[in-house]
Amino acid sequence: MKTSDVSIKKRIAKLFILMVGVIFFLTMRVGYIQFVRGDELQKKALDNRLREVTIKSKRGTIYDRNLKELAVSISADSVLAFPPQIRKSDKEEEIAKKLAEILEMDEKDILRKITQNSSSVWIKRKIQDFEKGKKLKDLNLVGVEVIEDSQRFYPHDTLACHVLGFAGVDNQGLEGIEIVFDEDLKGVPGRIVIEHDAKERELPQAMHRYIPPENGNNLVLTIDETIQYIVERELDQLMASETDPESATIIVMEPKTFEILALGSRPAYDPNNYNEYPQKTWRNIAVSNSYEPGSTFKIITAAAALEENVIGEDEKFHDPGFIKVGSERIRCWAHVPHGVQTFEEAMQNSCNPALVTVGLKLKEKDRGLFYKYIRGFGFGKKTGVTLPGEADGLMILEEDLKDINIATIAIGQGIAVTPMQLISAVSASANGGRFMRPHLVKEVRDNENKLIKKFGNTEVRQVISEETSKELCSLLEKVVVDGTGLPGYIEGYRVAAKTGTAQKAGAGGYMQGRYVASFVGFAPANDPQLAILVVVDEPKGYPYYGGTVAGPIFKRIMEDSLHYLGVSKQSAGEVPSEIPGEPAPRKDVQVPAVDGMNLDDAKQKLYAAGLKSSVQGQGDMVLSQLPKTGATVKEGTEIILYTGGGGEEITIPNMSGKRIYEAVEILEALGLRLKTKGWGEAHRQIPEPGEKVKKGTEVEVWFQDNGE
Amino acid sequence: MHRPKRGKPDFIIFFAAVMLLVIGIVMVFSASSVVAYMDKGDTFFYLKRQFLWASIGVLAMIMAMNFEYYHLHRFADLIFLLALSLLVLVLFAGISSHGSSRWLGVGPLSFQPSEAIKIAIVIFMAKSLSGNQDKIHSFFRGVIPHIAVLMLACGLIVGQPDLGTAVAVAGTVYLMFAASGVKFSHLAMLAMAGLGLIATAIMIEPYRFKRFLAFLDPWADPMETGFQTIQSLLALGSGGLFGMGLGQSRQKFFYLPERHTDFIYAILGEELGFIGASLVLLLFVLILWRGFKVALTVKDKFGSLLAVGITCMIVLQMIINVAVVTGSMPVTGITLPLVSYGGSSLVFTLIGIGILLNISRYAADK
Repeated sequence: MKTSDVSIKKRIAKLFILMVGVIFFLTMRVGYIQFVRGDELQKKALDNRLREVTIKSKRGTIYDRNLKELAVSISADSVLAFPPQIRKSDKEEEIAKKLAEILEMDEKDILRKITQNSSSVWIKRKIQDFEKGKKLKDLNLVGVEVIEDSQRFYPHDTLACHVLGFAGVDNQGLEGIEIVFDEDLKGVPGRIVIEHDAKERELPQAMHRYIPPENGNNLVLTIDETIQYIVERELDQLMASETDPESATIIVMEPKTFEILALGSRPAYDPNNYNEYPQKTWRNIAVSNSYEPGSTFKIITAAAALEENVIGEDEKFHDPGFIKVGSERIRCWAHVPHGVQTFEEAMQNSCNPALVTVGLKLKEKDRGLFYKYIRGFGFGKKTGVTLPGEADGLMILEEDLKDINIATIAIGQGIAVTPMQLISAVSASANGGRFMRPHLVKEVRDNENKLIKKFGNTEVRQVISEETSKELCSLLEKVVVDGTGLPGYIEGYRVAAKTGTAQKAGAGGYMQGRYVASFVGFAPANDPQLAILVVVDEPKGYPYYGGTVAGPIFKRIMEDSLHYLGVSKQSAGEVPSEIPGEPAPRKDVQVPAVDGMNLDDAKQKLYAAGLKSSVQGQGDMVLSQLPKTGATVKEGTEIILYTGGGGEEITIPNMSGKRIYEAVEILEALGLRLKTKGWGEAHRQIPEPGEKVKKGTEVEVWFQDNGE
Repeated sequence: MHRPKRGKPDFIIFFAAVMLLVIGIVMVFSASSVVAYMDKGDTFFYLKRQFLWASIGVLAMIMAMNFEYYHLHRFADLIFLLALSLLVLVLFAGISSHGSSRWLGVGPLSFQPSEAIKIAIVIFMAKSLSGNQDKIHSFFRGVIPHIAVLMLACGLIVGQPDLGTAVAVAGTVYLMFAASGVKFSHLAMLAMAGLGLIATAIMIEPYRFKRFLAFLDPWADPMETGFQTIQSLLALGSGGLFGMGLGQSRQKFFYLPERHTDFIYAILGEELGFIGASLVLLLFVLILWRGFKVALTVKDKFGSLLAVGITCMIVLQMIINVAVVTGSMPVTGITLPLVSYGGSSLVFTLIGIGILLNISRYAADK
């Protein structure tokens, strides 16, 4: 009995120690939670209770280089509802009805939204109509707030759309500069933070915090709104013209700084309503499209050849109409062989065999030499311009490079470049051989206009020497004065340029009748201020040459821009031996009434109006005219004057074996119109030769074979 | 039988119990007022009831304090049978809530038989274990019959189902076994068997298994199974040393469930900090110390084991509750004795304290 008592007492004592030990452990555990993990848990608990309403920051403005607004943020009202408050008020139906009425939305939808299980919900974002927002504010509905929201607005609609891109409904950049500089533009959204209970009610003595939004910074672009406008105008005209290409791109760059002054593409879209346009219109083909540059690439070949001195002082190039490279035969584009020419003449003629020879000479000096210059001019690699979706272009791997590849690359085939790469390379040739990174953004400024960041000119490398650059400039100037670049000639300015017409490659080789016509150049040649590239993809009909399709556009943009920039006309410089026969029409003029007039008076009157005339018939009184009186035509348009009498019938000539440009000349001289099918030499025509037709009749001619 | 002269009841136990009761009433009010206002439209809804039950409980305690505990020896079997039959009754005629039926009676007069069985089985075991001291070393003649009785009671409780209370009851009885001299080898065997049973109970019931997993990593499913533990830790952790101040709990605003019952200790820790939380633990340590001291000093074995049983019953529930609140064990649904809201628990715990105080009156001072 006694021992048993003792044992119970011992047991109880042990039990006591055990339980005190457990309680001690629990005390430590409480202390650990409250001290060691206290801050973390307290913060978590607070986060758990905080409900946030985000206040949008205002997106920064995008300016052109002269601080003209290209993209701005305007205030718009948004309607935010707080379902818990609405549920508590027991006026759900009434509130839904009022909201539906003012916002012109479905009442059921609204009712569902305002009674859903969340602390807040947007009823409608960015109401365009300020009256609606005001009405709602005045109604002061329970649990409904009208919040000032900001909305992106592009005041010039499509202008520079591919540069600017656009921002989405939540002010996030989605394309173009808007996405690349999103961090700078978007700012920091503000917040209202309120402490809530688990049933979404505000707590008594709740913590309130208001963190005001920080507005985004502003961007100053290198774009010049005026030059951009000129570019857009030309693009619009081009797309509306008979040329009606698939797409087109124009880039205007300042060669000395590599600042992009204008960049435009078609098809375009309106960033204010970007959703209404097909997504492919958002693509910036100026940086994302790779195409075969054709003859414009001969500038690079020439630059490399001049720098490496592979052409002898008085070396002559013989063009029999083709050149054999290995077993392959590369034709010249022209039907009549260029014969014996200097290198300068070969460039003027854009002679394929001569340039192929030059390319092969580079290869002979050193196999890797040509590619070294091609890379040096920035091809095969992104230029690093701040636009999304830039392509690398396509280059045959150097180890796979055969002679025939070098030969074709020398004339711009077998290599694909982006328009941005080409304009950069040409700018480098014009800029004393200095290749820089093309750029679009000059400065980032804050709301008080304080400078935050400045983007200077980044010289990447010296590709060719200053001397070679000068030589190249005068070479290219001669192309304009005395060669294929003639459409780019501007009276009073020394223009250097090169044309390019390349057949488009598709599956299984080059595609018949599909071309990329381009024209690239800069002016003034002795002190380049502007470099312009015009690329027209798949022009319709004839002519489709770079010179004829893209040249006049280049000329008009260059002339207008130089004038706008106040670049004074030069007296120096060579004048073409013949002024281009038909200078590109410029101004719109109204056709004056000349019918019933004496033929000579009529001609005089048309000349005074800036129009040309051609006579049909043998009489000396104008019986009728085409186009009719009052019609709006381009300056320099030919007005046909019918004088009656005979001679109206024309005998169709035989076009067989003629090349397209020959056919054009012949038919034009006879006052007939040409409709081309295919490419190469003519082999079939409608009407048949010998048939008598009226002036202005369309002659359809089928061509075959491959040329340039 | 000779009885020692009746002395004064142990003041420290009385003091600790009343302190806990007062803290409980204050905390129940603080934790429940918001919910009471929102759900019942009366800020004082739970306070009034808790105060009423505490008053009834204190009256019961005073009565028990003056009721000679050795008379309980005579009625032990009867009390136990009565409590058991109430447990059977609750299985058939209980009021259901939260998927289990734990209540008997109507409205404000309803009570939980599982609270009655806690004290009843302690009285029964104290009598049986003290009366069978000669057989206690035998596994089959001593341990097994007691285990059979325990299993019967626990089985009925698990049937409600209320695994938490069953575990608390079994734990209390186990501690009484340990105190009464059951061999260590037998105790170890029982512990393993008990753990095996608990594990089985957890595995066969998907909701228990989820709770168990949530205990291992509450943040894995913070919105569902881990929710209570996380909210409890957030409340407790927000307290720091001094707490957010009485009435300043944030977690009581519908975040922490069972805020005035199972998780009142979390709100207490949030409002009163480590100082308040450890003070409560200290008060329980006082009850443990004095309760065991009574057990050691009282002359008869029945009184000794009764004192141990009652003390263990109270302290063990506290340990389970605080372990749950601190995320140290899976959520079980055991309230904090004397502090949490709940009439039955309060009244029967106070009756237990009263019995303990009565025993202390016969404990010889050294």
